[in-house]
Amino acid sequence: MSEATADAGSDDSWLSMDNSRVLVVGSVAVALVVLFLAGTLFPDSTAGALVDILLLPSTWSSTLTLAVPIALAAVGGIFAEKSGVINIGLEGLLIISAFAAIFAADTTGSLWLGFGAGILASVLLAAVFAVVCIEFRANQIIAGLAIWLIALGFAPFAARIVYGGPNTASLSNSVPTVRNAGIPVVSPVFDSLAETSILGPFQALFRASPTVYLMFAVAILGWYVLNRTKFGMWVRASGENPKALDTSGVNVHRVRYAAVLLSGVFAGMGGAALSYNVGQFTGSGQTMVNGKGFIAIVAYLFGNYNPIGALLSTFLFTMLEAIQTPLQYAGIGVPRTLVQTLPYVGVIVVLALVGRTRIPAAAGDHYETGEDR
Amino acid sequence: MSDDGNDTTPDGSQGNGGIDGTDGTDWRGRGRSVLDRLVEASVFERVLISLAALVLSIAIGVVIILAAGRTATCESAATTYFGVGFCYDPFRVYDRLFLGALGNPINPLFDPLHGQFAAPFREGWTPFNPRLADTMTETTILVLTGLSVAVAFKAGIFNIGTQGQMVVGGLASTLAMLALAPLFSGVTATLVLLPIGLLVGALFGGLYGAIPGALKAYADANEVITTIMLNFVASLVALYLVREQFQDPDSFSTKTNDLPAGVEFPKLVYAPSDEFSVLAFVFVLLLTGATYYVLRYTSFGYDLRTSGLQPDAAEYGGVDAAKTIVASMTISGALAGVAGTVYVVLLYGYFQPGLPAYGFDGITVSILAGNNPLGVVPAAFLFGVLKSGAISIQTDPNVDIPIQLVGVLRGLIILFVAMPEFFRLIGKRANDLGGRSRDRTGGSGPVRSDGGVLGGEGDE
Repeated sequence: MSEATADAGSDDSWLSMDNSRVLVVGSVAVALVVLFLAGTLFPDSTAGALVDILLLPSTWSSTLTLAVPIALAAVGGIFAEKSGVINIGLEGLLIISAFAAIFAADTTGSLWLGFGAGILASVLLAAVFAVVCIEFRANQIIAGLAIWLIALGFAPFAARIVYGGPNTASLSNSVPTVRNAGIPVVSPVFDSLAETSILGPFQALFRASPTVYLMFAVAILGWYVLNRTKFGMWVRASGENPKALDTSGVNVHRVRYAAVLLSGVFAGMGGAALSYNVGQFTGSGQTMVNGKGFIAIVAYLFGNYNPIGALLSTFLFTMLEAIQTPLQYAGIGVPRTLVQTLPYVGVIVVLALVGRTRIPAAAGDHYETGEDR
Repeated sequence: MSDDGNDTTPDGSQGNGGIDGTDGTDWRGRGRSVLDRLVEASVFERVLISLAALVLSIAIGVVIILAAGRTATCESAATTYFGVGFCYDPFRVYDRLFLGALGNPINPLFDPLHGQFAAPFREGWTPFNPRLADTMTETTILVLTGLSVAVAFKAGIFNIGTQGQMVVGGLASTLAMLALAPLFSGVTATLVLLPIGLLVGALFGGLYGAIPGALKAYADANEVITTIMLNFVASLVALYLVREQFQDPDSFSTKTNDLPAGVEFPKLVYAPSDEFSVLAFVFVLLLTGATYYVLRYTSFGYDLRTSGLQPDAAEYGGVDAAKTIVASMTISGALAGVAGTVYVVLLYGYFQPGLPAYGFDGITVSILAGNNPLGVVPAAFLFGVLKSGAISIQTDPNVDIPIQLVGVLRGLIILFVAMPEFFRLIGKRANDLGGRSRDRTGGSGPVRSDGGVLGGEGDE
């Protein structure tokens, strides 16, 4: 993101980057251990209340649910940026798909069709972004901002036309049936085990919405495709050394198109999952997406472009959000509006510590294929 | 971040811009001449591209309005094309949007296309009507946010945080003026309290802008992300402070106490009920001139622009990159803070959380203006028309299209301005007939070897 990344490839900054990551993860771990010790020794203290909150199944359940749109968008963002196109418009893709999913599910009555429509809307918008960046060589950052602002205007605009207000109709009848579906066979067995044991916090994992499992699947699949398949190799080469890829006979533009469209697919899943979880699209202010697309970018930067790493760092952010409500109930004297700033401040702190990320060498650059057009 | 995509890219060669650092002697002099040449060559093209982007966005807006008109349900069609009825008539929408914002200046009898040459202006129309006053109020604030974004973009920094800096500046100046209010009254309030407020606004906006600047300069934190996150933090903290600490006890809505009566820009020729003040606008124009002068004619401005165009070359030439980043973000934030103060004083006389998206409009204004401070004024007026026209749409019972349309237009305009290559391609196609062709691939080498940079080095 800045001129200083020019030397980021050197061993020195690799080291410092890893150090700061270790620092963040390490200090979080140490803080948690201290917290648990203090909480167990003094159950009536603030630490005790915090430990109780962290052990609540509902905290874990919100952490997982809140992570879905962020982690899915992050995996998409990894593909785009690895291929050399920085997709800062992820926020816009989440907004458009969150709206389209509810709109289509509401009009067709099918949750599946709605989910598909969400993905489709996101892919279409991503295609516009891809054409603008790859074909017309637009500045990727400005084009990404435009994609965000277009979606930010269009979704509430469409909601007003169809529903007469910034919010869509609520699908509260159909959506809750799948929200805590869990896994067939496994979940009931686990439920009975978790009743009394320390497995309580993990209960959330086995009573989650299908989109949570989709998130895990996409992160693993994303890692596999990126690191173990030929397409993944092309994507990485297209971002690191497009000339070499071109020389070996692979069309760089085509790889970049595929990667950006793929980011549209994943972000579309994320947006649809987001509005399905609430059962409604709310479009006032910054809409219900509210910066999740930008948090996704930080998540994959912190995760060092590794889909699994992005997933884990997403949990770090969503945990901060998940403890907000129980913190209020626990009567810990921090005003709600201030607690709400936690995830955003967390993002800034993390970014300040791992800012020196080694981004793909050709990210942000246009690539002109060898033959003249 | 060598490139804000809007500066000087006649043929995409800007990335390598002629100052390659291979021969360091006197690069500054050569750099200046290259810079000047690029600027001169591109001003005309920039204006053309901005206009083309505007026209194209409005045309797509027509399609969106028609499509929306098919989706919506209405009792009777507003218009009919090719035998198909539509709920919204795009021409009436744009008529309201543009002419409504000016107070309907056109004489209905004036129709030169049909041989009617009555007086062009409607009888009784004056430039001092309340609708135009509203448009100019919006313009005044948009010039400030546009300048704020332009200063940062010129330095190659994507300050998306103008919105948050505006909130911080507006709140801080309101609180400062409220705290000092008992000491001043009447004319002294206008003469002393208001300037203090503007200074405090600039100071706090500047400090809030310096945070992402320092994070970028010293920790390499992506400023697009940090500024957006700081926007969220600013509005949440402002909400907390007003609601829990500085709430007006006599009001049901979340707002601070009213500023004392004297704290206002004198209205001069406009009616006291109008919010617009010519004096405030003149003040904003002076700031625009000052910004232009600093960027164009001072050595600091030169360093700032070179850092935006050629960060490596600038640093090679002795520019302290980190300091330039922090300084330009501070100035950018200070302008946003002034915008917040002017907004509070001009429109409400108290601070209320949840400011309209002037900061994001500032991005469009700046991009449309090619990040040129002087271009910011007409671009801001255009957006003032759009924002105030949105109100004319709302108040016209015959046009009930959602005003979020303006938000869509805003995004489209940015998108099209961001892709000058599209228009060049069209221009090239047209020009090829005349035998003139431009070698696009020659300018910027196909592969940059100096390491891509998130947030810049865009080839365009």
